[in-house]
Amino acid sequence: MGKDNFDHTMRFNVKAEEETNEAKLVLKDVYEALREKGYNPINQLVGYLLSGDPAFITSYKNARSTVRRLERDELMEELVRVYLDELEKEW
Amino acid sequence: MECLLIKGKQKISGSIKVNGAKNAAVAILPAALLTEGIVLVENLPRITDIDRLVEILQALGAKVSVTDEGCMRIDLSGVKSFSPPALLVNKLRASYYFMGALLGRFREVSIPMPGGCNLGPRPIDQHIKGFTALGASVELEHGIMKIKAKKLIGAHIYLDVVSVGATVNIMLAAACAEGKTVIENAAKEPEIVDVANFLNAMGAQVVGTGTDVIKIQGVRELGNAEHNVIPDRIEAGTFMIATAATKGEAVIQEIIPKHLDPIIAKLKEVGTEVETGPDWVKVKGSERMSSADVKTFPYPGFPTDLQAPMMVLLTQATGTSIITENVFEGRFRHVDELKKMGAKIKLSGRSAIIEGGHELSSAPVKAMDLRGGAAFIIAGLASSGETCLAGVEHIDRGYERVEERLKSLGVKIERISMEDEDEIFPGK
Repeated sequence: MGKDNFDHTMRFNVKAEEETNEAKLVLKDVYEALREKGYNPINQLVGYLLSGDPAFITSYKNARSTVRRLERDELMEELVRVYLDELEKEW
Repeated sequence: MECLLIKGKQKISGSIKVNGAKNAAVAILPAALLTEGIVLVENLPRITDIDRLVEILQALGAKVSVTDEGCMRIDLSGVKSFSPPALLVNKLRASYYFMGALLGRFREVSIPMPGGCNLGPRPIDQHIKGFTALGASVELEHGIMKIKAKKLIGAHIYLDVVSVGATVNIMLAAACAEGKTVIENAAKEPEIVDVANFLNAMGAQVVGTGTDVIKIQGVRELGNAEHNVIPDRIEAGTFMIATAATKGEAVIQEIIPKHLDPIIAKLKEVGTEVETGPDWVKVKGSERMSSADVKTFPYPGFPTDLQAPMMVLLTQATGTSIITENVFEGRFRHVDELKKMGAKIKLSGRSAIIEGGHELSSAPVKAMDLRGGAAFIIAGLASSGETCLAGVEHIDRGYERVEERLKSLGVKIERISMEDEDEIFPGK
């Protein structure tokens, strides 16, 4: 089958991509809210990911509700994936 | 003296926003002493425990101003004293957080044993264990605790019992100690997370709160901060239980539903409908509730602070329920008063056996502690007749304008002044 042959059935993993985009958006919004309120975003996000307690995330700009849009494992998956992608570029 | 007059057989209905968490706020205000700068604390509940803490801060030299509803600006630059006044300290349990905070700031504190609700023995040996591990000496002279350290040096501390107070106090003392402190078997309550959030906003390095191992890397000094207190899960739980017990329907807003997991689970178990959103919970009481067993435990278990309100709910459920109090020994002081209202409850050691399904009837009752008082309000709302509740000062310690807030949920409750107790309890 040729590389550019679109006559055949192809499989796209749309859901995974949507989740990735959603995780990025969630992390970006929460990061900005934490930073704007004077908290250390890394400390607070690590605390949330470790304990699952939304008290780590400020209610400012609705960040506490935003972070709950996805499960913690989905956020962690995105963080690890992006980190490993970066490492792979260096290897 | 003041009393609450509660009309019975009323259903709670409507929606209400929850205030900032008392148990976080009462630690955050003393924690502010660790900076010589200025802090802005938002979402503070307007309760008498906060008033007392502000009086203590002012007596120590802090300048406190209310900038907005529930928002305080505290200037700590003028604090020179490490001896909180005994008269004020004796009024509330949470004054023990001044031990860790003042020890952290001045390396010295002189403070009487704290007061607060009488819930049986609540030793502070784990607090002392933490302070001594950090290098402080602790002596008791004429009822005054004198805690001193030339230097505070980070240490590895294993708490023999899970204690919220000891965990927070050690965090406060260790925030500006030399080196790293590790607290093992730490309490995991959300209020501890919130205190750490505040400390970290001031520049501390506290990680691991919300888990049973907390690590604190000491820093030289803390600076200015702005912090918003988390919602009060106990106040939220009280409104939820009140709604279920009165077979009403209400939305409790601006909460963290995750913190209410054990309450939601028990309410569902008795037959209450509970729906949760990102920051709200909707409760719809059932006309026919079934019994359930409840055991109190440190977070994330069922909170001891909601044991008394839950007991009232279970008096309305069909069948026999057992409540086991695992946190505080003396926390069944509300039982005798509930019996006066017709509740069928037997005590056996740390357990209360509740034979549910009997209608409560109004009676003059007196709150002897904060959460017991909240339970009597719920009992009054669920009972037939009109209940006169004395000891309102206990309720005011932890619930902001309780009668006004309940009125907003459609029930009839009034605060009245009485000349003396004989009017409520004739012949007593």
